[in-house]
Amino acid sequence: MVKKKRVPDWLNSPMWSSPSSPPWKSQSLSPPPSDHRTGGYPSKSSSVTSSDSSVTEQRFLLPPAALIRPEPTLKSEIRVSSNRIGSSDNDSSVEDVSRQAQLLQELSKKIINLGELRQLASLGIPDAAGIRSTTWKLLLGYLPVDKRIWSAELSKKRSQYKHFKEDLLTNPSEITRKLEDSASPKNGDQIIMGRGLLARSKIPNGEHPLSLGNTSIWNQYFQDSEIIEQIDRDVKRTHPDIQFFSGDSAFAEANRDSLKNILIIFAKLNPGIRYVQGMNEILAPLFYVFKSDPNEDYAVNAEADTFFCFVELLSDFRDNFCQQLDNSIVGIRSTISRLSQLLKQHDEELWRHLEVTTKVNPQFYAFRWITLLLTQEFNFTDILHIWDMLLSNPVGPRETLLQVCCAMLILVRRRLLAGDFTANLKLLQSYPSTNVSHLLYVANKLNSQSTH
Amino acid sequence: MVLVLAIGDLHIPHRAADLPAKFKSMLVPGKIQHIICTGNLCIKEVHDYLKSLCPSLHITRGEYDEDSRYPETKTITIGQFKLGLCHGHQVVPWGDLDSLAMLQRQLDVDILVSGHTHQFKAYKHEAGVVINPGSATGAYSSITYDVNPSFVLMDIDGLRVVVYVYELIDGEVKVDKIDFKKTSTPAI
Repeated sequence: MVKKKRVPDWLNSPMWSSPSSPPWKSQSLSPPPSDHRTGGYPSKSSSVTSSDSSVTEQRFLLPPAALIRPEPTLKSEIRVSSNRIGSSDNDSSVEDVSRQAQLLQELSKKIINLGELRQLASLGIPDAAGIRSTTWKLLLGYLPVDKRIWSAELSKKRSQYKHFKEDLLTNPSEITRKLEDSASPKNGDQIIMGRGLLARSKIPNGEHPLSLGNTSIWNQYFQDSEIIEQIDRDVKRTHPDIQFFSGDSAFAEANRDSLKNILIIFAKLNPGIRYVQGMNEILAPLFYVFKSDPNEDYAVNAEADTFFCFVELLSDFRDNFCQQLDNSIVGIRSTISRLSQLLKQHDEELWRHLEVTTKVNPQFYAFRWITLLLTQEFNFTDILHIWDMLLSNPVGPRETLLQVCCAMLILVRRRLLAGDFTANLKLLQSYPSTNVSHLLYVANKLNSQSTH
Repeated sequence: MVLVLAIGDLHIPHRAADLPAKFKSMLVPGKIQHIICTGNLCIKEVHDYLKSLCPSLHITRGEYDEDSRYPETKTITIGQFKLGLCHGHQVVPWGDLDSLAMLQRQLDVDILVSGHTHQFKAYKHEAGVVINPGSATGAYSSITYDVNPSFVLMDIDGLRVVVYVYELIDGEVKVDKIDFKKTSTPAI
């Protein structure tokens, strides 16, 4: 008899059916949702892996019969349970409020415990009171944990950004004018009353607009103008459905200008990767969160703060954007194959069906998922929730991203298993909207298992 | 920061075959926003070449131009400056600064660009500035000896103009610049 690889136990586990904990929970694999706050994910899940199917068989028999369902209807159970989770809104909003209170309490301490903050944040950060903005800044390491030095740090970083802007965003005309004004103090402005031949003067350093030299500021300016044009085009196309970014209002214009400035300065400071299409998508949620901060001071300086956080966030992912590294061990190909391995580890049946039977090469869908940090797959509010988890997870955003992607695949497994190449590709390239908290929960489960 | 190229008196193909190679290598599309040409190109191919450098091309008619549809004079407003354009063979005596000043007052412009003498000149008088970009090919002229190929690039930035003069002397490109500011016009 061919032993079909069973679906991992936790997919069948009871906590998906209701938020309260049934009595026989102690025998099953993971604690109920309310235990999350005590932090730490269980180590009991060691049994659920590709090993001993007989052991898993036994565990299946332990929970009451009501919960043993045959495999084919597994997906329906998942759907039903997710509906039920969705409907228990009253419970979750109470949880929300208490979570918000806990976060606020954590943030108001003089020295913030980053580990605590991470755990609280991984459950999802509420949208109110600029909590997300401050939390993200702490998680990305922009704000130090010691609250007392916040204002000093912030003013230092902000003035640094101001210098960057002055140095890198001025055009060569202004630069030459400033150089001259500083070199020769106010020599009377050529107001030669009457007539006369205008005096010719030497040009400084052979700098003239048509210069072809590599060190010429004019030449660099014209070379950069290509990149600036591309940045401009991409920024205009960012999130066209959101008022914050698109439209003709002065507010949207200012936001787009800020995005452009950040990207241009980043491109100039990093000649190695310059600007690659897609960076604007990663920048947009960061800027949105920081700019929407109710704290006036933060909102006004959102551009500077976003720049440094963007650099920090991208430092984890910059290898994805470098074309030369595509085939290397840190490049995007290897990341995609790791996702594939992760899927194989957790759900071999699905993996086999996807990659071997229907030959859906993960590069077709995962490339966009990974390089753009899932910003193109979900709507904006969902993106913010997913990023809460990505940024707060202590293993780091890269690993967490893979787990979320794996969870995304597993959630639609029934449709994938039933589909052929075209259907699956279509499904994965326009991922259906789902309950994001559910998705993140599943991703968390994967985290707890893959560490063992 | 608007870059305006002032060029003229090429006399291609009658007196010169082409622009000097060193000039040609510097004049690439994408950098210049406007071209003002004093005239005497003389043929359509030169017109097309200049058009490829920049779509905004203004030309006035020189006496040897084959296209008779170019106007005699033209005025253009770029930024805060009004520029006037005329070939210069109409203004007699040729190259005389007083007569050019008269033309400038007639056109009511801040900068008058005219050619015909094949010699670079930048001159200031009460009514404004006269610039002669010279001949870009160094074509023969009956009124000037030892013609050096030259043209002018103006960087107009607010009320300030930086005029870069490009000359080919002894096979080398020499660049100089001239700075001047426009005093804001007093209210009448």
